[in-house]
Amino acid sequence: MNLASVTHDLAFMTPELVIAVGAMLLVLMGAFVSKSAYRAITYLSVVVLLVAGFLGVQHAPDNAQVLFNGSYVVDAFGGFAKLIIALTAACAILLSADYLAERNLEKPEYPVLALLAVLGMYVMVSAHDLLAVYMGVELQSLALYVLAAYARDDRKSSEAGLKYFVLGALSSGILLYGVSLIYGFTGTINFGKLMTIAKDTSNVGLIFGMVFVLSGIAFKMSVAPFHMWTPDVYEGAPTPSTAFFATAPKMAAAILLGRFLFEAFGEVVSQWRDVVSIMAVLSMFVGAIFALQQTNMKRLLAYSSILNMGYAMVAIAAGPVYGPSALLLFTAIYAITSVGMFGVLLSMRDAKGKEITKISGYSGLSKQRPLLSLALTIMFFSITGIPPLLGFFGKFQIFIAAVDGGVMPLALILVIASVISAFYYLRVLKVVWFDEPSVEIVGGLATTKVTVTGVTLMIALLTPFIGLIYTASMAAGHFFK
Amino acid sequence: MLQIAAFYILAAVALISAIMVVSAKNPVHSVMFLITIFVTTSGLFVLAGAEYLAMLLIVVYVGAVAVLFLFVVMMLDIDFVELKQGFMRYAPFGALVALVLFAMFVLVASAVVEAKVDPHVLASPTPALDVANNTQAIGRILYTDYILFFQLAGMVLFVAMIGAIVLTLRHKPYVKRQNVGKQVARTRKTGVENTKPKIGEGVSL
Amino acid sequence: MKALIDALGPLWGSLAGIGLSLVYMVVVLLTVAFILWFDRKVWAAVQMRKGPNMVGPVGILQSFADFIKFVLKEIVVPSGANKTIFVIAPIITVVTSFLTWAVLPVAPGWVLSDMNVGILYILAVSSLGVYGIIMGGWASNSKYPFLGALRSAAQMVSYEVSIGFVIVCVLLVVGSLNLTDIVNHQKAGIWDWNAFAFIGALMHGGSPAKMGMAFVVGLILFAMSVVFFISALAETNRPPFDLPEAESELVAGYQVEYSATLYLLFMMGEYVNIVFMCAMISILFLGGWNLPWGEVTNPFLGFLVLYVKIWAMFFMFAMVKAIVPRYRYDQLMRIGWKIFLPTTLVCVAIVGAYVAFFGGNA
Repeated sequence: MNLASVTHDLAFMTPELVIAVGAMLLVLMGAFVSKSAYRAITYLSVVVLLVAGFLGVQHAPDNAQVLFNGSYVVDAFGGFAKLIIALTAACAILLSADYLAERNLEKPEYPVLALLAVLGMYVMVSAHDLLAVYMGVELQSLALYVLAAYARDDRKSSEAGLKYFVLGALSSGILLYGVSLIYGFTGTINFGKLMTIAKDTSNVGLIFGMVFVLSGIAFKMSVAPFHMWTPDVYEGAPTPSTAFFATAPKMAAAILLGRFLFEAFGEVVSQWRDVVSIMAVLSMFVGAIFALQQTNMKRLLAYSSILNMGYAMVAIAAGPVYGPSALLLFTAIYAITSVGMFGVLLSMRDAKGKEITKISGYSGLSKQRPLLSLALTIMFFSITGIPPLLGFFGKFQIFIAAVDGGVMPLALILVIASVISAFYYLRVLKVVWFDEPSVEIVGGLATTKVTVTGVTLMIALLTPFIGLIYTASMAAGHFFK
Repeated sequence: MLQIAAFYILAAVALISAIMVVSAKNPVHSVMFLITIFVTTSGLFVLAGAEYLAMLLIVVYVGAVAVLFLFVVMMLDIDFVELKQGFMRYAPFGALVALVLFAMFVLVASAVVEAKVDPHVLASPTPALDVANNTQAIGRILYTDYILFFQLAGMVLFVAMIGAIVLTLRHKPYVKRQNVGKQVARTRKTGVENTKPKIGEGVSL
Repeated sequence: MKALIDALGPLWGSLAGIGLSLVYMVVVLLTVAFILWFDRKVWAAVQMRKGPNMVGPVGILQSFADFIKFVLKEIVVPSGANKTIFVIAPIITVVTSFLTWAVLPVAPGWVLSDMNVGILYILAVSSLGVYGIIMGGWASNSKYPFLGALRSAAQMVSYEVSIGFVIVCVLLVVGSLNLTDIVNHQKAGIWDWNAFAFIGALMHGGSPAKMGMAFVVGLILFAMSVVFFISALAETNRPPFDLPEAESELVAGYQVEYSATLYLLFMMGEYVNIVFMCAMISILFLGGWNLPWGEVTNPFLGFLVLYVKIWAMFFMFAMVKAIVPRYRYDQLMRIGWKIFLPTTLVCVAIVGAYVAFFGGNA
């Protein structure tokens, strides 16, 4: 490679460059402008994300561009995922503004760290070799650890950060171990080359390495046997951070796992389908059953995210032909709905401005805040998969993909898990609509309101346009195969 | 001959130190053995002809990382007896994990022996010494082929730096801080005031 | 070393190498002995005292008397101390301080190991030196030594960073990590010595843009030589940065519990390091063994020139010790992290840009 080819490749990375440069400039701004710059930095980071998201779609080349000696790929699949990641991350940052300001945590580093995490996710989504996978995962998780421990004077937040860090470091170790195995046996870390090698030879070491990498990514995705950190971290971390964890990183990790399995091992589906299927079943059951006994809304949503990642695993198990578009559509819809649910959670404040996280605190919400209740209802219906709403289409797509891809049992388990999970979503809605009010609930602050309204409208109003999204994601998904 | 002897000595010391890191009773001793491992490993690197990596290993790990380890470990007030208490309880579990990993290791090693390794894997990608020395060779690919990862590594370190500062920096309101700029900018005008107070009245400060 | 093995065979070559190393050590130790005396004499002269004057003519044998006294005394190990580490610590200090000399060329062609990564080796080994101090402070099992060790470790780690960046500037200009190459780069005369390269930039000419940039880079190198000098003071725990052993606060820092030979080892390691730093400044910035008016090819003359430069640099060290009051710890850290680090970093960027666009001095 020479300078010319480096600049040629860099031209395709405009969104990433926008985020990186934006983050660095905002850090400088935070350091040299006074503390009052926090708001400005928050809004500017949202702008940066929106610009990066749209550039990602607009700049998506007609053909997949493989850059930097085949280690980075820019295509429509990634472009679509990047747009959703940027959107949900922007929502999460917006949600944080008032919350942090109320608790004297308004440091300009928060949006900057979120931006850098998004940069990591972009790299994950576009990774085309294992080094890029590792760098992206590390960049993303390192920023997330800090965001988890952000309220450092709060014991629970520190604990969450520490737990997340220790387990995350372990999973990174597992990932690296897998990478070293793969490299040792094949002499390459490039997805394209791995594909041909995996097809030609059945190699124990290669498969071992693949499973290790898979486990490492599953950790970041919080899929069942590797999910144990999720509820504690979700509960302990400051709620805006949790809102962030539950959306963009989940999507990035799911897309990354999809890309890794489809692009590097797409020819040997039989080698990994069983592992992925078991993970899918486990996380669907863990997510559906353990959520039943939760009394804390944040923990409930943690299990909900485990459950939904189980669905995403079903899409991956469907194989490289039917899987990608379903995975893309489902994770996108999940991320959007999820950020909305956390918006509602952040709107729940009692008279003293303290946040309400207990489910019992939601009793009679409909009598005090009818619109908020309506928003929550729409979101819960959507994530349960009630037909006219957006969430239905994602699930439906996965169901179809699973049937077409020859994993019928998984499709059935998906339906069963959906029914079980409907119970706990509806339980919350029952508390909201039919119980008597117990505490006075003050609504959310400005940015929270904007986000919740926006997401609700998206879920409700985008339904007519589902065809459009459908086509987009189908195109993106098929394009990549 | 000399090199083979050096290899065995360094490798043996590294392995023994590795065992001592885990089994030493005093955590400070553990860190010392860890440092020994770093130093011997860098010796092995030199034997393999990777002198640049060897020096970097010492500068980064021994010179900076391990010093901070030592700092933390020395300042922690650890009750060694209590630390050892859980050992027996978790030993079977640890042994199980070790066994599984070892079995895998054996499996993989046997696969390596059996497998027909792709010839281009074995081909050495480093240029001959008379073309470019170690440092130049690393520099050449680091800033061309791996520029993306080099920059990304920079971003990772950037995140780590911001994170460390966010989580630890506290401005205590009751701590007086020296503002050198302010001190230097102080002139006679701002520092001294000449007054002629009347007797018995004093001055107001 | 390799040349010796090639010439004399593995056995005799190795033995000759070991012998040569011993000669190096003896010369360094003798230098240290006299430089200690010189240090005290300068200090005394500034304070209008006589200094050591009883042992030998003008007290010149004072260091040897001290040496004999230390060796003959009893080694006291405190009862609560961690014995092994307590004894190992000074040995580490003294061994690492000698190790660095292995790659230092003292005259044209006179070097034990002409390494490609000589400078990195020096950085690596000198970073090992911290351990002697930390271990000594910790193993003493006493408050003052422990605080002294902590201070010292933080100080040495901090200043290693700026020293590293200063060295990177020089490396960029020279284009090699080999110390002999660095000296040969400055062979033309005093205007080409790295510290005074801004004069050379004006003399060499070239296009105005290149000349201007070369001048700026020359000025930067001069500034870097000053930064290096100050950092060297801090790195070797010399006054005004002798906080690890600040006697008014910490009695004697990490050395409080040490006596006799062990103390002697600490002391010796410290002074060997100081002499080494003087040699480094001479080589990196002051033309090494070259005379101000031209190249030196005779190794004996070269050695003599470098030796004089080392003494001259040490005179500066001694004068600083005598004149400048001790810094406070937070001030020390402030200089290291808030002034030297950003400055040197910016300088590395400028020098790097110069090398990239004008191809260095070559």
